[in-house]
Order: sequence, then structure tokens, then C-alpha cells
Amino acid sequence: MADYVEIGMPTPRVDGVAKVTGAARYVADQPIPGALSGALVHSTRSHARIVEIDTAEARALPGVHAVITGEDVGHYLYGRMIKDIPVLARGVVRYSGERVAAVAAETEEIARHAADLIEVTYEELPAVLDLDAALAPDAPVLHPDLNSYPGMRPLDEPSNAYRWTVDNRGDLDAGFAEADIIVEGVYETQRHHQAYLEPHASVVSFEDGRAHVWTNTKAPQNIRDDLAATVGISRDEIVLHHSHIGGDFGGKGTPMDLAVCYFLAQAAGRPVRMVADYIEEFMAGMPRHSTRTRLRTGVMRDGTIRAHHVQFFVNSGAYAGYKPAGVIGGAPRAAGPYHIPNTRIEAVHVYTNIVPGGHMRAPGSPQAVFALESHLDEVAGRLGMDPFEFRMRNLIDDGEETAWGQHFEHVRVKETLEAAADAAGYAEPRAPLVGRGIAIGDHGSGGGIGNAEVALEPGGRVVLGTAIFDQGSGTHTTLQQVVAEELRAPLHRIELQVWDTDGTVDDSGIGGSRASRVNTNVAYQAAQDARRKLVQLVAERLGEPEAAITLDGDEIRVEGREEVLRWPELLVEWEERVVGRAYIEDREPVRVTGFVAQVAEVEVDPETGELRVLGLTTAHDVGRVLNPVGHQGQINGGVVQGLGYALMEELAIEDGRVTTLSFGDYKIPTSFDIPELRTVLLESEDGVGPYAIKGIGETPNVPVAAAIANAVADAVGVRIADLPLTSEKVYRALADEASRSSRADAPESTE
Amino acid sequence: MRLTVNGQPVETNAPPGQLLIDLLRADLGLTGTKEACSVGVCGACTVLLDGRMVASCLALAAQAEGADVVTVEGLADDERLDPIQEAFLERGGLQCGICTPGQLVAARSLLNANPAPSEDDAKRWMMGNLCRCTGYYQILEAIAAASQGEA
Repeated sequence: MADYVEIGMPTPRVDGVAKVTGAARYVADQPIPGALSGALVHSTRSHARIVEIDTAEARALPGVHAVITGEDVGHYLYGRMIKDIPVLARGVVRYSGERVAAVAAETEEIARHAADLIEVTYEELPAVLDLDAALAPDAPVLHPDLNSYPGMRPLDEPSNAYRWTVDNRGDLDAGFAEADIIVEGVYETQRHHQAYLEPHASVVSFEDGRAHVWTNTKAPQNIRDDLAATVGISRDEIVLHHSHIGGDFGGKGTPMDLAVCYFLAQAAGRPVRMVADYIEEFMAGMPRHSTRTRLRTGVMRDGTIRAHHVQFFVNSGAYAGYKPAGVIGGAPRAAGPYHIPNTRIEAVHVYTNIVPGGHMRAPGSPQAVFALESHLDEVAGRLGMDPFEFRMRNLIDDGEETAWGQHFEHVRVKETLEAAADAAGYAEPRAPLVGRGIAIGDHGSGGGIGNAEVALEPGGRVVLGTAIFDQGSGTHTTLQQVVAEELRAPLHRIELQVWDTDGTVDDSGIGGSRASRVNTNVAYQAAQDARRKLVQLVAERLGEPEAAITLDGDEIRVEGREEVLRWPELLVEWEERVVGRAYIEDREPVRVTGFVAQVAEVEVDPETGELRVLGLTTAHDVGRVLNPVGHQGQINGGVVQGLGYALMEELAIEDGRVTTLSFGDYKIPTSFDIPELRTVLLESEDGVGPYAIKGIGETPNVPVAAAIANAVADAVGVRIADLPLTSEKVYRALADEASRSSRADAPESTE
Repeated sequence: MRLTVNGQPVETNAPPGQLLIDLLRADLGLTGTKEACSVGVCGACTVLLDGRMVASCLALAAQAEGADVVTVEGLADDERLDPIQEAFLERGGLQCGICTPGQLVAARSLLNANPAPSEDDAKRWMMGNLCRCTGYYQILEAIAAASQGEA
């Protein structure tokens, strides 16, 4: 192992003191003199024509400065890849909660009161509220003009199924034909809210001919560009300033109300601040998608898988705009890191008249992995094999490609599973009504664009410039560690400077476990560039060849000279500063992934269906860990978010309306809900970038639900194939099982 | 009305119906206290009112008349952090930081009431303070460390 002084050390957050003293400013805390408050009117219909919007009473209310509707903001559509979301609905609403009109007023109370005074007259249209309704042959088409949307792949006939992809490997029919046993299953997942505790917030203020923007985004350059495109101005006319971000989990890469805020500020001629309340977050945020996955798997009696067919149906909600690529990934993960020669993977994205889904921590993976890993236990059961043995038989080895045809480097999935099973005592005898379940996931480190600057200042300050807005995951701290490491300077001398969007031209920001692959690397390169330039400067000033100069922390030695120089003092003497810069544009496909294997142990009360998670073991193939405190924090938080997904969280919808509109109804885990957690880290020299690391932010939440579902099946023999795994579902499944077996046991009729 | 906030006397005209959180954040500029759920469920807005935890998003400003209010800004003693703040830093008890002011006030209140809480005591006491980042493990470790003087 390399000899590091900062890399691998438990390091407190660079923003920690500001956060524990209350000094850290978030968007809602920014002091903006003269700012008005914005408020929204949301649709109360799932699908309707807007006949009229009467804003007269709202406009007449004292203290109201602007009222805008879709007619005022024009036909602008926004979105990341597919642009299909109106800033404010125009002519038609497509989900209950859609933004219809907005008000800017002196106070939040006046703004909300004015919004209540706006009368919208609707003419109801037939709505499709779930996958079946949306896919029915005679279903009303939500977006008849979808072929005109920028970024949409044109369809021959407009359909709610706006993207249906099919990927074939091998010969699926031949694979099924040779299989001894074919097992089919259908698995459903619910909408899951990111539940960052800080609601979306935006401020727009026009000054010096530019729009100054504060908004809680982890991708400031992208959001600046999106806003420019959405409101029809050049991106140079916008500067987006830094604020702390109160949680993300995928949700803070979406502009949400930013464009509305822009148009309100423009109409009012005053700065406007919009802070969503949590009702709006649940009603009109962009949660994790609900899905239905159909799996069909052909196996030989010896346990080898020959054929596997995935149909991954994604309930997109009303718009495609804020999904990772107009669609979410995930479908391949329903085939998994298994050796399967013949596969067909279909992914179907379907418009429905409900709140649109967006990004959430490993988009698509928890859904697909819940389906696959539940299903594999069903297959193992049919074969009479232990689920662990069955997986070990089929998991890929290093050098083999996954069931979806991807080749990863340094695959250690079997070792990861074995480590989890060992640590959990998977094979040990179980008490009655106690079960253990295993599940596996992975998530690669994505590419993108990154920037960094490392400035050596006279006197010894080091200023680390970054375009990254740390949304909580700790990237700023790891960047600080990297620079401290490469300059051999103490952490406290590395001062962080977060740029506004004028600081650089393009930067992908946080997302897709990019920080590990791109940002760490770019900070490393900027530090190396600073070292190189320092050597150049010293060589030039002293009239020595560069090769004669060595740096060791602050000290500079020159071959053939006795004295030891120090750069902090030399830069003072020379009145110089040294600036290292780096830029990375890394668009290569993902080659390195981090595997996770988990074992859940549960106890089920057969009288009530209540299930208690006794323990969770999570094993990760991690490469090198940069900051053990932050790394463990990602694992802990991810696992508990997965626990909420597994057991309790569901953004419930009745008649198209979200009914879980507060944290009283939408329950996330509390300190009292967390099980005993064992973490196993498989460190290695294999990873990405100069320190051989792997992303950790996304994987821990991926397999939790499947591991728990498998543990329930192991404990009491019932399979819950739709999330969340509530006690009611377990109770009903046990009751159904009991009535089935009592019918089976009933004496045959003697008639 | 008069009250004490973080040890300082404050005189203010709280309009009828004003919430304590708005008095703190908007009128006094103490934006360390955060508003998240707005309905008293998540704990982000927790402050101490005469030593008792309250959700400042539900409490009326008028309820603080004559009272002693402590917010996250009042935990540190000048430049010296409270041991619970130190422990959160060292143990990774915070990530995004939005729930942290409420967590710290709640944890300080726990340690005032029970200087040596068991893990179960801490889990129960902190149940009303939601955190989406940490999964609570490192918050509980921080509380244990602070109670044992290990911060």
C-alpha cells in the first residue's frame, strides 16, 4: 500500500464547524434585501383542459406584485434530455399537483393567500392513473405531440409507452427450450421520495443586467444552462451562487420551481424567493419511480441459468423531463452480475397522469434488484438449492461479462457475497420464525466533466477552487484531503473556495458516483500542476535545472546546495503565487463498479405479520477508502434509506392524488427504527483514479429491500413481491397460505 | 415583548400569530434554526424554551414572552464548541447539516436531562429528530462519545 498521510484518515467535514454552529447558509437563509415571496397554484385534476384562470381577485390583493400563468411564460418546455415539462401548465394539466399559476407578494402569507384566490376552471379529460390504464389499447394519449419534444426519440404513432427498448444477447428461445425448469414472477415497487429535509428553494434577483440565482442544486452549471434554455436567454446572463444544500439523494439536480421564480422576479421587477413547503415536495417533487418487473428464467437442474427475460415497466408519471436520460436505467440490473448466455432485456417507460418521477440514489437499481434478487430466491427454491449456493454457481468471475453484456474490471462479486455471508453467520442455524435473506447489487462510478484549481499563496495558504456544491456527501472534504496529501500540507491550510457558475465554463457537478472518478482525480491533477509550476518557478528564479529541485511539503531542496528553502516564504519574498489548474472531460463508459452484498435477518410474528429486522450485514467491494468517517456515513445512510424503502415508505396515490402529504403520513425511519448494522469492507488496490477508489454513495440502498423480502420468505415461507413489505401484507400472505393449505389438507369429497 | 435568546435580552414586537421560528429567523436573523416539514414532525426547528424542547415551527412567538430560548447558535460558548458539537464533528454525526441544529439542540437537552444515556435512551429521545443522511448511527455514537467525555 502507498504511504499516505491524509488519504484514508478519518477526517471531520470541512464545512462541519459552520454546520454545527448554525452559521452555514442554505438558500432559504440567504439575506436578499427586498425579496418578495413566491407561491404556486397546483392542479387539483389529474388530466384536464384548462378552460379559464381567473386571477383578478389575486391581483387585487394588497401586497401582491405579480401573478403569472402559462399564458405569461409562453410555450417554454424544460427537461434534461427530453424537454416536455411546461414551466406552468398551458391549456392542459397532466397530473394533480402540476404547477398552474404563481404569485409574488410582500410576504409568504400574502402570496399563499393570493394563490388560494386564483380560480381555475377545468374540463376533465379521461386520466390514466396506472400502468395498466396507460398501456390499454384504447387509452387516451397524454402527449399527442410528443414527437415535437426536443430530445424525444420519435415514435411512429404517439403512445403513452414513449420508449420501449429491447436488448437481446444469445438466443433466448433456444435457452428456454433447453432449460429444465422455467420460473416466472412479477415484482412491483412503490414511489419513494428522496425526503431530503430541506425543501427546494430558489431566489432570483436581477442586478447589473444579469440574473443572480440561488437554488439548492448539486449541478449548478447544468441548472444554469437549463434555466437559460428554459427562459430563452444566454447562459452568460445568469450567475448561480453557492449555498449549502440540505440533502439530495438524487432530488437536488432538478430545477423544480426555478424557472417560475425567474418569471415572477421578471414580472415583479423585484427579487423573488420561493421556498417549497413539504406538502408541495410530496405532491409535486420528483420521487423514485414505481415499477413493475416481469421476470422469466430458465434453469438446468444443476442450477445453471440458461435464459432470462426481463420486462421492466416504469411508471414515468406525467413527464419525462427530469429523468437521467429521459428514461431511468435499472433494467439491466434485473439481469444482474450473473453468467447467463441468453437474455432479453426490455425497458418500457410509460406516461401516466400522476406526479412524474425523477432521480433518486442509483436510479432504477433498487427496483430492478428487488425484482431480480427476490426472483432468484424463488428459482433456487424450485431447484431445492440454497440461495447462497445458487448465486455462487451463477455469479460472474473476473473477466466475465454481466448478464446484460457489460465487462467490468476487477470483479469481486463472489468474494463480496462470501464476506457478507460469513460476517452475518448466514449458514448458522436459525431460531423458529427467524429468517435470513441475501441480495446483491452494484453501481459504477460515472464519468463527466470536472474542474479544480489549487493556488499556493505567499505565506503558505493553499486555496482549493472547485465548482462542486457539496450536497452533504462530503466531496469537499475528500477534495481537501487530496490536496493536503499531494502538497503534504496540513488540512487546516487547505482553504476551500466554492465558485459560482462564473468560476468555470462546464462542470457536471455531483451525481452518478462521479465524485470518486472525476472530482478526486481533477483535484489530484490540479495539485500536481501546482507542484510542477512551483518547481518551474523555483528553477527559473534560482537559475537551476528543474531536475535539480525536489519538493517535500513546504520544503524545497536544490541539488548541490546546502540550504533548505520553503515555498511559503519564497513566495512572499518573490511576491508570487502559483496556480495549478486541471480540467477533466471523461466520457468513457463505466469500467469499474462497486459490488455490495447484504444479509438481512428478520423475525416474523405469524399472529400479526409484524416483522422485525434483527440485523443487517452489508459488505462492499471498495478499493481504497478516502475518508472512513464519510464513507461509513454513506453506507449507514444508504442502508437506512433502503430500510425505509423496504418496510415503510410509500408515496401513496389515490384517484391520482398523492395522499401522504407530510412526514406524519410519509414515514421515514427514525432513530428508533434502525437495526444492528454490520459493515464489511473489502479493500483492494483496484479502483479508479490515482488512489484506486470506488463510489459508495449509491450502492448501500440498492439490495436492502430484496434481502429483507428474502429473509421473510425464509422465516415464514411467504413471498412478498410488492414493496413496501408492511406487516399487513405479511399477515395477509400468511392468512392466504393458511387457507390454501387447509383446503389442500381437507378430506376429499366422498360424494 | 421581552425574552432572552442565547443569553441575550431581546425586545421585539411579535405580531399576533407569529411563529417562534419566524421571530428567530426573520426578525432576529438566527437562521441556524431550520424549517423543513413545517408541521412539527421532523425536528429540524427544535429549540429549547426554558430548557424544554419545542418545535419552533408550531410554537407561537408569544409563548416565548419572558422565556429563555436557546438555539443552535447558543450552544457554543464564545469560540469554544459544546462537547456535543465536537462529538458530531468527530464522529460524522452530520452530513448535509439541515437537521443538525435540531439534532444538536435535542442531544444537548438529552444530556442535560440524562448525562449518561444508554443507547436505547438516546434512540428514544432522538426519535422526533429525523435525519435522512446518516441513518442515525453516527449521531448515536456522537451522543455516546459526548456523554463519556470522549469528544
